Amino acid sequence: MVSMKTRGARHAAARALAALVLLAAALLGWLVPAPGSLGLRPATAEDRPEGAPRVVGPYLSGVSPLPHDAPVPLAWMPPGSDLSPTPSDEIFPPQTITIRFNHQRHVGELGQSCLSCHASVTTSDRGSDRLLPEPVASCDRCHDVDHRDLAKVTAGEAENGQCGYCHLGAGAAEGKIARTVMPAPNLHFSHEKHLARNIGCGHCHGRVEQLELATRDQLPRMAGCLGCHAKPTAARGEAHAECTTCHLREPSGALRTEFATGPLLPPAWLKQSGHGPDWIERHRSVAANDSRYCASCHEENECVACHDGRVRPRKVHPNDWLSMHPTAARLDNPRCTSCHQQQSFCADCHRRVGVARDGPLGARPAGARFHPPPSEWTTAPRGPNHHAWEAQRNLHACVSCHAERDCATCHATRGVGGGQGVNPHPSGFVGRCGRAYAQNPRPCLVCHQPGDRALARCR
Amino acid sequence: MLLASAGLFGPSQAWAADVELSSQTVAQGYEVASPWEGSSIERRRLLQIVGFSLHRLQGATDGAGGDYSLRLGMRVDSDFGLGNHLPDRVRDAETRWTRASGAYFVPGLRTAQLDLMYGYLEGRGLGGGWLDFRAGRQYLVDVLGWWSFDGALTRVTTPWYFDLEVYGGLEQRGGLPLSTSRFEAQGMWRGRRADFGGEGEPRTSDFPGYQEAAAAPAFGAALESSGPSWVHGRLSYRRVFNTGSATTGMFDDGGALAGQTDELRTSSDRIGGSVQLLEGSLGGLRGGLAYDLYGQLIPSAYAGLEVFVGERVTVGADLDYVEPVFDADSIFNWFTKSPSTTGTLRGAWRIGSQVELAGSGGVRAWSTEGDPAAFGDAQCAAVGLGPGCGAAADIGDATSASLREVTRSEELRSTDVLLDALAHVGGSYRGSLGRLELRSSLQTGARARQVGADLSAERSLDGGRYALGARLSVYEFSELQSGEGSAGTRAPRDATSFAYVLGAGFRPLDGTRLSLEWEHDMNRLVGQRFRVLGSLELRWSR
Repeated sequence: MVSMKTRGARHAAARALAALVLLAAALLGWLVPAPGSLGLRPATAEDRPEGAPRVVGPYLSGVSPLPHDAPVPLAWMPPGSDLSPTPSDEIFPPQTITIRFNHQRHVGELGQSCLSCHASVTTSDRGSDRLLPEPVASCDRCHDVDHRDLAKVTAGEAENGQCGYCHLGAGAAEGKIARTVMPAPNLHFSHEKHLARNIGCGHCHGRVEQLELATRDQLPRMAGCLGCHAKPTAARGEAHAECTTCHLREPSGALRTEFATGPLLPPAWLKQSGHGPDWIERHRSVAANDSRYCASCHEENECVACHDGRVRPRKVHPNDWLSMHPTAARLDNPRCTSCHQQQSFCADCHRRVGVARDGPLGARPAGARFHPPPSEWTTAPRGPNHHAWEAQRNLHACVSCHAERDCATCHATRGVGGGQGVNPHPSGFVGRCGRAYAQNPRPCLVCHQPGDRALARCR
Repeated sequence: MLLASAGLFGPSQAWAADVELSSQTVAQGYEVASPWEGSSIERRRLLQIVGFSLHRLQGATDGAGGDYSLRLGMRVDSDFGLGNHLPDRVRDAETRWTRASGAYFVPGLRTAQLDLMYGYLEGRGLGGGWLDFRAGRQYLVDVLGWWSFDGALTRVTTPWYFDLEVYGGLEQRGGLPLSTSRFEAQGMWRGRRADFGGEGEPRTSDFPGYQEAAAAPAFGAALESSGPSWVHGRLSYRRVFNTGSATTGMFDDGGALAGQTDELRTSSDRIGGSVQLLEGSLGGLRGGLAYDLYGQLIPSAYAGLEVFVGERVTVGADLDYVEPVFDADSIFNWFTKSPSTTGTLRGAWRIGSQVELAGSGGVRAWSTEGDPAAFGDAQCAAVGLGPGCGAAADIGDATSASLREVTRSEELRSTDVLLDALAHVGGSYRGSLGRLELRSSLQTGARARQVGADLSAERSLDGGRYALGARLSVYEFSELQSGEGSAGTRAPRDATSFAYVLGAGFRPLDGTRLSLEWEHDMNRLVGQRFRVLGSLELRWSR
């Protein structure tokens, strides 16, 4: 657009670099998580204002899955936790739990069942159903508290009826209850169907009865789901393994992948398709093996954006690519052809800027050479810089600029063929040429006349 | 197709299809520098893509009898910078032969290229779930490559853990209506030259390598596994034919080219297979191989091993083999050429749920049929001269009997290998507040070197309504080249490049996104260059 080739380019670059480092630092600063958190902790005596209800605690149980936030043994975690230590933020958005609760005590010691508190799961047919315990039906039966009017919850005299007995947060002691935030999962799920097939809570949630507080970590993992859903057809019954059996989808049928918490990305263990920092280098073999799997999430547009793109994809080609691409073509040429047709995409531009022998006469100054002089590049003897070696190593690069006539000038047979008869064929060529000639004689006839004796050996 | 689908599905039942419309408009402005002193070509590009989809065409049923959809994507890629670097009087000389006596003419170059990216009717789950089909322009991706054709594809799901796929049609080819050349085999330059030879038009002999595009019939079949998650494989075969006339003579023979061929002939004929074995808690193994039945060689093969070391670390090894192959019409298939093989070891470490690191390193082997360091000396000896004779003078006719004999000698054609080293290191932070990515690479060898890194950051504001981004890069590159200082040879390409991109995005409404990017590149070869890119994306569905 604007070209200013100056000697001061390096100085300008240095100034720009300094400014950019500052800019990047500013951006990075924004990326640091904001300080502070909800500061949830058990209520203590220090929290009690003047005249407030009786203060209880502090309580140390029920505030984490195991006492002192000890790690939960893998055997008690939901199936699949060995592959996915934490549930996906995109499927199960982050939660804020402002309750302390001891499942081990309620289930193990008090003999309650899961359904005692989570009764609505038996009829729940949607992932978005709220399945937390109803305080009146579940809590008030045993605790000395009346939740019937949530605007005016009445605490009894017993310690287990005090707000701070269960509710966490700085204001819990005086009845200021911090809101529990538990967003609906981005998932299709029917508890009813699973329970009807005698799939117990632990099949998906792990050994919650061994834990105190159940957290997001006790939510299912996809690897656990696939334990049944990916079984062969006969064994899985109606539990189809299609992605859309569980995942939300767009009108196009592709999975919904954009969520407030970020993009939904596959884990590394699923078809070896983890979209990590090296995915661009690795995705080829995954797509070549199972492109329908890719199409679960990606529409054609996304692939075309690079593989037949019209805008340089920055994830593939870095900044200043126009200056660097000749070097890259020497070093990593096989990758070029995965997106570019050389005789049109590459050569068209090369012709216009005078980097092609059959380009417009006006595009290259008279006498200008792109390659080394003929004594090194074209004539015998064939020294280390001869074009034959580079052509053997990297013929795609040659074809990015040269059309057939450029090569036939020397490599076609003499005479009407117009060339100089320099044989370019590889070892063992004669053994292969007959079959090739039968399928397509055209390349032979470019360099050989129909009556050529050499051609007779391939007929 | 639209009318047909409306007729098929519209009148008989309540309209319940999902409709999706999308568009993308991208304006770009930048320059491409010539390696010669003087003019650079200007790019003033405007890209417009329109997408239209109808889903659940069967109406308000649950899809038990099949799920039908229609998808369409078209684009126009215009470059209003063509000829801007030329004097006013010949500004359209790149696209018109008559201007400047053809001095700037490039066959096939057009100001605006319109193409249908895809457009097909799809049916899934027909016949009780056993049959899928697609009809129209569609893509096909497998071990044989990324490909597009106009035609029909049918897939049958069998009860024996595999699907059978059969397809046929015409390969998408540049020069044909609404088509690009991206999907045809390499090595041929095709387009429309129907006007060649007319008054005020170039002669065919002016561009003998530029072939008239013609329909390319193609067919193929594939077997693909289905069901078990621990294994997946696909075996694929495809054959494409060339039709129409192709020039064979490259040199002017009294005003006409010496010959042409117009028979039905092979364009490509390939078979390939790929397989992946996976054990979720251990790792996986995958590999693929294609075989070119026309060239009787393996154009590509790959293999990879991946091991999950604990919950967060993955290590692996990859091998990639590539040998160039071209359209069967092309002479390049029969030049001496050698494969390149890349072997790498890699590792990835997921640090928490937001940070990942990955790195790889290895070598790429370029082979030649003969030792470049010794081959020339043998040629010198063949004509009775001492080693290194070529440095002083041309030793004569390369086709002389004595030279030809030594050149074709099998003893001098043993494989010689040149190694390049390569490494990549990347990292990413992806959190609720933004994204940060680092990509760095090193590739170095006897012929060239490129090393550098990109750091990019993106931050969303106001719940994603606004976005800011920046990308900073530093690369050093050099091409080790002989012949420097020779009269007329272009300057050596080695430089350090500093570049940055600043961008901003805005979503005024759901399904709408505006963005603007500014790129500033600096290196000693081209000085300072700028690129601006603005885009508007719209998406609507109901």
